[in-house]
Amino acid sequence: MSVQTQKPSDLTPRQEPAISPLQKLNRAIYRQAPEVFDSIKLLPYNVYKSIYRTTAFPKTERERSEAFFNSFLLHIQPAKIEKHALRFTYTFGLGLLSTYLFLLLTLTGILLMFFYVPATDQAYFRMLDLRSSVSFGGIMRGMHFWSANAMIGAVFFHMCRVFYTGAYKPPRELNWVVGVILFVLTLVMGFTGYLLPWDQLAFWAITVGANIAGKADYISTSLTGLGLPDLHFGLFTKNMLLGGDVVGQEALLRFYVLHVALLPVILFSLIVWHFWLIRKTGGISSPKESPE
Amino acid sequence: MAKRVREEEIFPRNPNKTYGLMEIVKGSSPRVDRGPDDMVSSWPHLLIREAILFAACFVIVLALALWAPPPLEKPADPTKPPNPAKAPWYFLGLQELVSYDAFWGGLGIPGIVIIGLMFIPYLDRHHSGIGRWFAKSRSTACWAFTLIFVVPSIILIIIGTYFRGPNWGFYPPWNMPVEPPIILHSIFGGMGL
Repeated sequence: MSVQTQKPSDLTPRQEPAISPLQKLNRAIYRQAPEVFDSIKLLPYNVYKSIYRTTAFPKTERERSEAFFNSFLLHIQPAKIEKHALRFTYTFGLGLLSTYLFLLLTLTGILLMFFYVPATDQAYFRMLDLRSSVSFGGIMRGMHFWSANAMIGAVFFHMCRVFYTGAYKPPRELNWVVGVILFVLTLVMGFTGYLLPWDQLAFWAITVGANIAGKADYISTSLTGLGLPDLHFGLFTKNMLLGGDVVGQEALLRFYVLHVALLPVILFSLIVWHFWLIRKTGGISSPKESPE
Repeated sequence: MAKRVREEEIFPRNPNKTYGLMEIVKGSSPRVDRGPDDMVSSWPHLLIREAILFAACFVIVLALALWAPPPLEKPADPTKPPNPAKAPWYFLGLQELVSYDAFWGGLGIPGIVIIGLMFIPYLDRHHSGIGRWFAKSRSTACWAFTLIFVVPSIILIIIGTYFRGPNWGFYPPWNMPVEPPIILHSIFGGMGL
């Protein structure tokens, strides 16, 4: 801080006492990075502080709010919430349940990907391996199967809850639309995953489903009455989906790519948008919005 | 800052004032121009509920995986079609509709339903009954949704799952033919496929 004025006595070289190289190093560290020893001492606290930013165990109201503001995972949610929104019988936790099931599906799905090959001559035997020789393979597949079925139910009943409580009304229109798209995508996710075990159930179910998609031919056939050429919408859709006329290797590969790559990314993005829209449209619906 | 002051210094007694300090209440934030609200901190009230829900969800899914393992039938064989061939359960309502009319059942009606669902909030904009289950002022909307969407979806899935047997014939579940005959030329006949 202060400018040192050098006295003549300082100019004369002082006799330095003999010091060991270790002491020399010590001095060098103190001279160039005096805080390093403190840093080592405070390492655990500083790591903790960098993660929680405030505190992991908030006590005051301010700290409780900060716990939400300062956490990446929690900042999606409001720091303060209406008591009404916490009543279990208002939402039955269905929206969050759908999210949790999606997370479980992602987790078990990634684990299953380590053991699965989307080839018609291997897929089924990989299923058998999961049951017999892969550690916890049966549990992984079981959890994936039940989470998938439960998610379809949870999303459907979540949609019913939102309707029966009038939660889709302005200003939440767009979030309802995103929700409907998420519902359809959940069904498509289930459908594309259904083929992957490559057993009789899977093969014939997808055959039936793809034939339903082929029914769009009715539209293009009807349009020929307007002088348009018959574009075979249904046949086109079916061929795009299956990569051929029947369910085979190409279909298995397409369903696999849709199921593990394309659809999860779209679904995840829409879930994020869904959450964002909840916050931006005033949080969860409340009876205060329409006094009766 | 911590200097003790007498009440009169902050709130001087003024005979012209029609208000005064009534009471000092415990609180962490000033409440100006606001009525009493019923907000609570998300930490821990929301967080603990979310944690419990996740634990319950995880345990139930794990229990189902352990005690009710998913089905695995024989390897896929394009030459041995089952009778009837059924779609995944959530599409059995759709398959049931397809058995009545191929286009309208498979695409027409489902398409109209999905588009219709998306338009609900743009058509029903009246600001009533938000935040209550089955609000009286919304009874028409609730009935319409139930009778047009919820009940038909569930009933069609139940019929498709439990009441449809060989050649998509209607059988009660207690009288379902045990070994369905495989007739190659008509497996898709009943489904209009």
